[in-house]
Amino acid sequence: MSVAYPFTAIVGQEDMKRALTIAAVDPGVGGVLVLGERGTGKSTTIRALAALLPKIDVVKGCLYQCDPHVPRPGLCALCGKRTETPPTAAQTIPVVDLPLGATEDRVVGALDIERALVSGEKAFQPGLLAQANRGFLYVDEVNLLEDHIVDALLDVAASGENVVEREGLSIRHPARFVLVGSGNPEEGELRPQLQDRFGLSVDVRTPTDIATRVEIIRLREAFDQDREGFKKKWARKESALRRKIQHARESLDSVDTPAMLLETAARLCLALGTDGLRGELTLVRAARALAALEGQTSATLGHLRAVATSVLRHRLRRDPLDESNADTRVERVIAEIFEGGDS
Amino acid sequence: METAEPSGVWEDAEWAAALTALLTTRIGGVHLRAPPGPVREYWLTRLQILSGQSRLRKIPANVPESRLLGGIDLAATLAQGKPIAERGLLTECDDHIVIAAMAERMPRNTIHHLCSALDEGLIKMARDGIEAASAARLTLIAADEGTEEETLHPALTDRLGISLDLERCSIHDVGDEQFSPQHINSAAQALKRVHLNSAQRETLVGVSLSLGIPSPRPTLAALEVARGCAALSGRESVAEEDLARAVRLSLLPLAQRLPEAVASQPEPPAEPESDSNSPDEQTPPKERDAPDQEHLLNAAFAQLPDGLLQQLQARASRNRQRSIGKSGAQQKHLLRGRPTGVFKGDYRRGGRINILATLRAAAPWQPLRRRERPDSQRALDIRRDDIHLTRFQQRRDTLTLFVVDASGSAALQRLAEAKGAVELLLADCYVRRDQVALIAFREDRAELLLPPTRSLVRAKKALAALPGGGATPMAAALDLTREIAQRVDKGGTTVHYVLLTDGAANIARDGSRGREFGTNDALAAAKVLAASGVAGLVIDTAQRPQPRARDLADALKCPYIALPKADAQALNQTIRAASA
Repeated sequence: MSVAYPFTAIVGQEDMKRALTIAAVDPGVGGVLVLGERGTGKSTTIRALAALLPKIDVVKGCLYQCDPHVPRPGLCALCGKRTETPPTAAQTIPVVDLPLGATEDRVVGALDIERALVSGEKAFQPGLLAQANRGFLYVDEVNLLEDHIVDALLDVAASGENVVEREGLSIRHPARFVLVGSGNPEEGELRPQLQDRFGLSVDVRTPTDIATRVEIIRLREAFDQDREGFKKKWARKESALRRKIQHARESLDSVDTPAMLLETAARLCLALGTDGLRGELTLVRAARALAALEGQTSATLGHLRAVATSVLRHRLRRDPLDESNADTRVERVIAEIFEGGDS
Repeated sequence: METAEPSGVWEDAEWAAALTALLTTRIGGVHLRAPPGPVREYWLTRLQILSGQSRLRKIPANVPESRLLGGIDLAATLAQGKPIAERGLLTECDDHIVIAAMAERMPRNTIHHLCSALDEGLIKMARDGIEAASAARLTLIAADEGTEEETLHPALTDRLGISLDLERCSIHDVGDEQFSPQHINSAAQALKRVHLNSAQRETLVGVSLSLGIPSPRPTLAALEVARGCAALSGRESVAEEDLARAVRLSLLPLAQRLPEAVASQPEPPAEPESDSNSPDEQTPPKERDAPDQEHLLNAAFAQLPDGLLQQLQARASRNRQRSIGKSGAQQKHLLRGRPTGVFKGDYRRGGRINILATLRAAAPWQPLRRRERPDSQRALDIRRDDIHLTRFQQRRDTLTLFVVDASGSAALQRLAEAKGAVELLLADCYVRRDQVALIAFREDRAELLLPPTRSLVRAKKALAALPGGGATPMAAALDLTREIAQRVDKGGTTVHYVLLTDGAANIARDGSRGREFGTNDALAAAKVLAASGVAGLVIDTAQRPQPRARDLADALKCPYIALPKADAQALNQTIRAASA
């Protein structure tokens, strides 16, 4: 495996980094969509995230990384039946790549041919969705993904459960994952249904000031010349952020949510006319995750404001031709609501 | 230093070959713009000799994904009775220099796999019950034979550190061999010691900014190239001429704009280079302080052969207009006929056997069948009943081609209304997930402003940037429409066009002015277009609709609608009727 570029060494792109760390703290925010031009470091940043994720406890030998500490619902069939406490193992949160061109049988899982041929046994070979359970599923160029794979993803992402009915198999297993997608919007639109599945969306651009660009080039050069050495140099910053994320995950449940925060979230969504309640829920969850990251015990309006654009940008009732105005609309409404709230 | 102009072309080519052999994966590869022929062959031979590889591997443009990535090896699987993976082309090419032939025609998926191989040096796949990641450190030579319409996908251009243009280089221009494999070997030793100071780095970053190159990848490549040049020249620190060559090979061809200072003087006098022409005082004094950007750009330009600057200017404006090549649209029709499942069937009636499904069907029966025929030597007993075929769903894509009259007669405020009408139609295309393309015509020619795309953002941008004014080359517009419609139709996409005009043609096919010639030619072109069987719609944008546009619609044998009456609904209904 090649050494990944350290997350903390990525220059700028604060929105993207914030969204990804929020998703690492609270998988419940529902995934991150990163859109931007070539050479903005989309893939680099997302792949770098893998190194920051803390370890989780899993049931030893479970194909779906089931959590040994939770009661039945949401476990795989095997773990669900268990009565005594299972042996556990620690494992890094998985980040699974869904490569473009993956076939459906590898994504959802299929009959294990080898076992079927050798021993005539009807066994299930789990797919990428099983591997991604409790972790991240990353789709590069998500807007180029073939339709039938998108269909499979949509269904599973909504229910958190993968149901396989094929080749005489009848299997259901948990598949709760954080969907992370990246792509270049100039190459084609994302299906609206898929876009709705993402909790946060960020727009990345290349920086245009010379100092930032020189810094990017300098660091990347240093990395390419000596990857191991570069990694070591950034190891302290990396582990500091890893600890921060770990701590935030643990303290997330104890973060307070003031009533005024809920109200402001609702007002934001009303003013922008977003559909359903998902906008409000994600706003509050993301604000809490951010508060936990900053080590605070209560989410504030400041946190809400920091995440609002990312949460709401892709939720507007869409006029497909009005892409460029979505951001300005969101920002105007945010400004109005927050200025109003302050006085 | 060579002074003869033609050898200048080849000198850069020779350097590019040496640099590629030296830097390989550090720069990703070369975007080689050249028609097939002796010059290209000779360059590739030079590269092969300098790199010391026994042969250069080749990836054909139409390679299927299964071969590119690998998958299940049928023969081995059947022989051994368990799934055996087959190595994909990309894995086989690990550590090799690879030529991608006709790279401008590669489907989008192939481009994506090449890009991830270039980015990560490995290829991940999950197909046919096999999941693997294997090393694929390629140095890619993307051979681009494209014309103006077809260009290499920018995602790939961005990752190839050197861009070389041999289009105008004839076999007579080919110059001496400057390097030998020994040169490359000793330069490879020296490369680690080559020093590039931070001011020089800053200069290159500044140059890439002033050329309007948004991505940092080309700049990184330029830094590598500058170091490589120094190593090849036996220097331990990067000199100005190394930087100039790096700018020329890695940055200039990607320029989205040329800085005013250089663009305004088409043939820059060689004065910035004049002092370095005297060999004695060449390097030492300049080494410490890096040259400023303008100086460096001038130095880079001074070495450009005649005519190349104009070409660059043309390309820069093209780069700006079309940020995406045609390949993105090309692959769309490969997606058509997505596999919608498998069914049990007789393979003799045609159809593609789905190996995996067949194996799965046969698998559970193996112990039973073995018991039935204990003397069988076959590892796998497959019967006709097991055969499964893949079912494809043929869904033809639809392309709506907007042909917009931007001439002066379609007066400016009408142009705004026409743009509005197109936007309405675009929204409708979005609902139906159609592709759109945009042709505009004014002055003396018709131009494909936006190649077929699904991105409405781009369509909208192209439309907004559309200037107006000038004469009306109607015949040229209709000819271009037919050409594109036919090309796209061949790819399996259904095309219909929407022509927005006032019908006042006044430029003939041969470019001469005059209402009469213009109209006659336009009607003739319209008849040919109608005969080719492409469906369309004429929207009259004239202030007061006149018979001209209606005559044109009659010649085109397509519905006619006048814009004053064309509200959103009417437009949509008419276009739907026309495309049905």
